[in-house]
Amino acid sequence: MDFWTEFLGSLLSGLLTTLQMILIAAPAGILMGLLLGTMRVYGGRVLSSLALSITAVFRGFPLLVTLFILFFGLSEIKIYLPPFWAAVIGFVLCSGAYISEYVRGSILSIEEGQSLAARSIGMTKLQEILYIILPQAIRRALPSISNEIAYMIQYSSLAFAVGVQEIFSISKTFNSIYFKSIEIFSVLAVIYIILGEISTYIFRFVEKRIRIPS
Amino acid sequence: MLKVEDLYKSYGNVNALNGVTFSLGKGETKVIVGPSGAGKSTLLKCINLLIKPDRGRIFLEGEEITNPSTNENKVRQKIGFVFQEFNLFNHLTVLGNVMIGLTKVKRIPKEEALEKAREVLNMVHIREDLWNRYPSQISGGEKQRVAIARALAMEPVLMLYDEPTSALDPQLADEVLQVIKELSSMGMTSLIVTHEMNFALEVADEILFMSDGRIVHTGSPTELLSSPKHDLAVRFLRLGGINGFLD
Repeated sequence: MDFWTEFLGSLLSGLLTTLQMILIAAPAGILMGLLLGTMRVYGGRVLSSLALSITAVFRGFPLLVTLFILFFGLSEIKIYLPPFWAAVIGFVLCSGAYISEYVRGSILSIEEGQSLAARSIGMTKLQEILYIILPQAIRRALPSISNEIAYMIQYSSLAFAVGVQEIFSISKTFNSIYFKSIEIFSVLAVIYIILGEISTYIFRFVEKRIRIPS
Repeated sequence: MLKVEDLYKSYGNVNALNGVTFSLGKGETKVIVGPSGAGKSTLLKCINLLIKPDRGRIFLEGEEITNPSTNENKVRQKIGFVFQEFNLFNHLTVLGNVMIGLTKVKRIPKEEALEKAREVLNMVHIREDLWNRYPSQISGGEKQRVAIARALAMEPVLMLYDEPTSALDPQLADEVLQVIKELSSMGMTSLIVTHEMNFALEVADEILFMSDGRIVHTGSPTELLSSPKHDLAVRFLRLGGINGFLD
C-alpha cells in the first residue's frame, strides 16, 4: 500500500473521531455556556457564585491541564474515563466556560425595559428569562459562540495528548514514520480549514434564520 | 376599584413618594400631572408592583395587593401597563407581542389567543398588514398602540399609562391619545401620567397634580378651567397653552 492510500485511509477514520468529538462537545458546550451565563446573572448569590467558580476554573486552566486531570488525574481515584470521553468532557468544560461569559454579556446588554414589560404582563422570572431575555441574548451572543466553536475545532487536536486517534494524532504518527512533514501537515491544515469554514457557514445560516429584521 | 393609602417610597435620601392617597372608581379615568421627578412614574410602578413601596397600602378590587402574601404575577395580569418607551419585545412580531402573554402566562390555546390578538389589534387600529412586522419595522405611534394592545389582551381591570406619548411627535402622539380616549369612553378604568394638558382636560374625570412625591391638588377639568386654585395647576394649564380660564 502506498503512502497516500494508507495515510488518507487512516486520516478518514481519524476525521470521523474528530467529527464525533466536535458534534458532541459543541452543542453540550453551548448548553453549558447558556446555563452558566444565565446562572451568573439570575442565579442569586449561591448559583451565581457556583457558576463564577466553574467559569474561573475552566477558563483559568490550560485545556491540556484539564485533559490530563480528567484522564490521568481521575484514574488515580479509580475513575477511568476512556480517552474519547475525557477529551469531550474537557472540550465541553472549556468552551462552556468561555461561552458563559459571552452569554452573560449578552444578557446584561438587553434593555431593562424588556424585563419590565415581561413582568408587567404577569410573567414569572423563569418565563421572562426563557421567552424574552434568552431568545434575544442568544442572538447577540451567536457570533462569539460561532468563534468559540471554530476555536474548538482547532483545539480538538489536543485530544492526541490523552491518546485519542483523531486527525492530528494520526498525522503525527505518520510523520514520525515517513518524515513527510510538508505533505502530511498541509493536508491536515486543509482539513481544519474546511471544518472551520463548515462551522462558520452553519452559524451564519442560523444567524440569518433567526435575525430580527431592522 | 383602586385605593392607594398613604404610600411612601424613597431612593436613598430622595423621597419619591411622600404619603400619596387617592382612589379610582370603576370606569373612571384620572390623569396625573406634575413636573419631572414628582414621583408620577414611581407611583404607577408601585401600583403595578414593579416597585415595592416602603410604606402604605394599595387595594385593587377590595383586595390588598401590597400584602406580602399577594401573588404579584397574578396582580400584574389584572393591571395593564403602558410604558413611555413602548418596551415591545424586539424578537417578536406585532402578533407575537400581543399573543405571548396569552399563550405563556394565561396558557390559552394558540387559536384562541390569535382570535383575542386580532380583536385587540383592531381596537387600537393596527392595520392587518403590520401584524407580522417586527417592532423595528413600525412607527413609534404604531409601537405604542401595539403596547396598548398587548396590555389589553390580558383583559385587565385597570390600565396604567406612563407618559405614553412623550417619546412621540405630535401627529403620532395624537393617534395614541385617540386610542386611549376611545378605551376610556368604553369604560376602561384608567390612570394616566401625561404632560398633554389638553388631552387631560378632555379625557379625565379628575386631574391629580403631583409635586415632591405628594398629590398637592385635585380637580375636575370643569373646576380647573373655571377657577384653578393651585399655582401648579395654573402653570400646567398655561404650559398647555390653555389660557381661557383667565378671561
